[in-house]
Amino acid sequence: MNKILGVLLALSIASAAFAADTVRIGLMAPLTGPWASEGQEMKQIVELLADQLNAKGGTQFEIVAEDDAGDPRTASLAAQRLSTKNVVAVVGTYGSSITEASQSIYDESEIIQIATGSTAVRLTEKGLNFFFRTCPRDDEQGRVAAKTIMSNGWKKVAILHDNTSYAKGLAEEAEGLLKKEGVEVVFFDALTPGERDYAAIITKIKSAGPDGVFFTGYYPEAGLILRQKMDMGWNVPFLGGDATNNPDLVKIAGEKAAEGYMFLSPPVPQDLTTEAATSFINAYKAKYNSEPGSIWAVLAGDAFLVAAEGVNGAGSTDTTKVAEYLKAGMKDFPALTGSINFDNKGDRIGDLYKVYKVDGAGKFIMQ
Amino acid sequence: MEEFVQQLTNGLAVGSIYALIALGYTMVYGVLKLINFAHGDLFTLGAYLGLTLLTSFSLQDKMGPLAAVGLLAIMVMGLVALIGALLDRVAYKPLRDSPRLSAVVSALGASIFLQNTVMLIYGARFRVYPQDILPRTVIDFFGMPIPLMRILILLVSLAMMVALYTFIQKTRIGTAIRAAAIDQGAARLMGINVDRVILIVFMVGPALGGAAGLMVGLYYGQINFTMGWVYGLKAFTAAILGGIGNIPGAMLGGLLLGVMEALGAAYISIAWKDAIAFMVLILILIVRPKGILGERVAEKI
Repeated sequence: MNKILGVLLALSIASAAFAADTVRIGLMAPLTGPWASEGQEMKQIVELLADQLNAKGGTQFEIVAEDDAGDPRTASLAAQRLSTKNVVAVVGTYGSSITEASQSIYDESEIIQIATGSTAVRLTEKGLNFFFRTCPRDDEQGRVAAKTIMSNGWKKVAILHDNTSYAKGLAEEAEGLLKKEGVEVVFFDALTPGERDYAAIITKIKSAGPDGVFFTGYYPEAGLILRQKMDMGWNVPFLGGDATNNPDLVKIAGEKAAEGYMFLSPPVPQDLTTEAATSFINAYKAKYNSEPGSIWAVLAGDAFLVAAEGVNGAGSTDTTKVAEYLKAGMKDFPALTGSINFDNKGDRIGDLYKVYKVDGAGKFIMQ
Repeated sequence: MEEFVQQLTNGLAVGSIYALIALGYTMVYGVLKLINFAHGDLFTLGAYLGLTLLTSFSLQDKMGPLAAVGLLAIMVMGLVALIGALLDRVAYKPLRDSPRLSAVVSALGASIFLQNTVMLIYGARFRVYPQDILPRTVIDFFGMPIPLMRILILLVSLAMMVALYTFIQKTRIGTAIRAAAIDQGAARLMGINVDRVILIVFMVGPALGGAAGLMVGLYYGQINFTMGWVYGLKAFTAAILGGIGNIPGAMLGGLLLGVMEALGAAYISIAWKDAIAFMVLILILIVRPKGILGERVAEKI
């Protein structure tokens, strides 16, 4: 009730500012290219939420979608196009380097940008006033990883990454934290992604004798490593980063080899427990006949909700006021993935990462 | 010492796959002086055809794993051989009298075509072989656990290489292939049907590549449409390392590259494994520009 009152109140104040006009929100997403499935889902979710919000009355929102193709150059063009289309805020995008290519364009045009899957730390360290993100930062994941490793009681840890900037950053973050806590890092190296045979690496890690292995790379390699590790008859617990959160991991490794594998991830859509999330997932199923598969796409939904709340809460489409409201005025906004607060840099405050474990049937169980 | 032996078996298994694929590069080069860039994609095709045949006929239920894999290997090798022959007819034969560069461009085109065909037919996601076909036994080798499959991969590859070597050295067709490799014109004057020799080369090489693809699929389980790129590059390197155009050279080069990678990863750095392998390649080529066995053997192929 309070919320509806708030919206009404906001509307009555705002109505002078933007009369009967609809507010345009941009969506920059990888609608084509390697992350197309991610981008398509982002678009479906954002459009569904906009329809729901518009049906409730109040400020009307119009979504303007642009394709960034998962490519920095295309993204900068998309950002230029969006910044001429009179949008208040832009939702997106998924990859960190793609977001980075568009950041300064939106900042110069004073458009609010709310990234959805871009976890690289540097994005919010630039002092951009109009940049936010609904996803956690990489160092957040590093902290959760270190915490999990210590609560598992591992005294000697092997850390393996794949030399991508994401995986290496996460590995270094975790290494630093673990060393500070007195956990011995007995192995720290990178594999070459895209190969099939990782036996040489597994043999080498094994000879270092760790209590557990933390792998920060992606699921195709994780699956192969789990399988080849079992073939060698080595039973060491594995912890992975959020890039291994993909059902194909179990297919590649096989259920037997994947059993007991742990990974960190924001909760998968089906594990979201907020009321907003369950009713949203039902609506999504009703409209698109499938379940949302990616948490990053759900975070795009959150970004849209936050953008709408920003406009309503600030009672204005003046982006300076909206940014101010999002940082200082908005408290515990109930979004799909839980309540959202932003700190001064535009980072989301709070723990989103959870620990998952693969059970004997290959299901991901939240711990 | 224990780690050394384990890394050696790791490297030999990977290397024997490289060697099998390298044979395809080296045979075509020996006869045509052409680098068949599409060869890596024929390897991919072998892996995918194996998956299709295995799942659509559910062979392992009907005849037990061993016979199923045997039959599967024959079917895959036959099909990939046919595709190899077709590739030659479509992409290379019309360019036989053109400059060599045209054929190389055609080879690159064929590679892109095959890779995208596989992607369009099977999709861009990873595909996975059924898990329970082969026994995942670990044998105890003087106290060291070594997966039985790794040893089998090595043995099967070696058997195929020996068979190929015997075929080239001891049979009439093999003699014709060697003759065509030395001098096509002279071979033609001796009554050898060079076109048929080329056709056979384009069937035998891809058949071995397809068999390698099937083995990778069966053992590692995970396949995707770009897998031929990495394996093709490594196998091509192996062929150069051993001396391209030379069959024992391709075998030696493949095994050596695999072992170098494994030992480089074990004793220097995993992240630098490829750099180390390629550094050794450069050093060997500086000392022996024609590859390890390139000069010692007088006749090509």
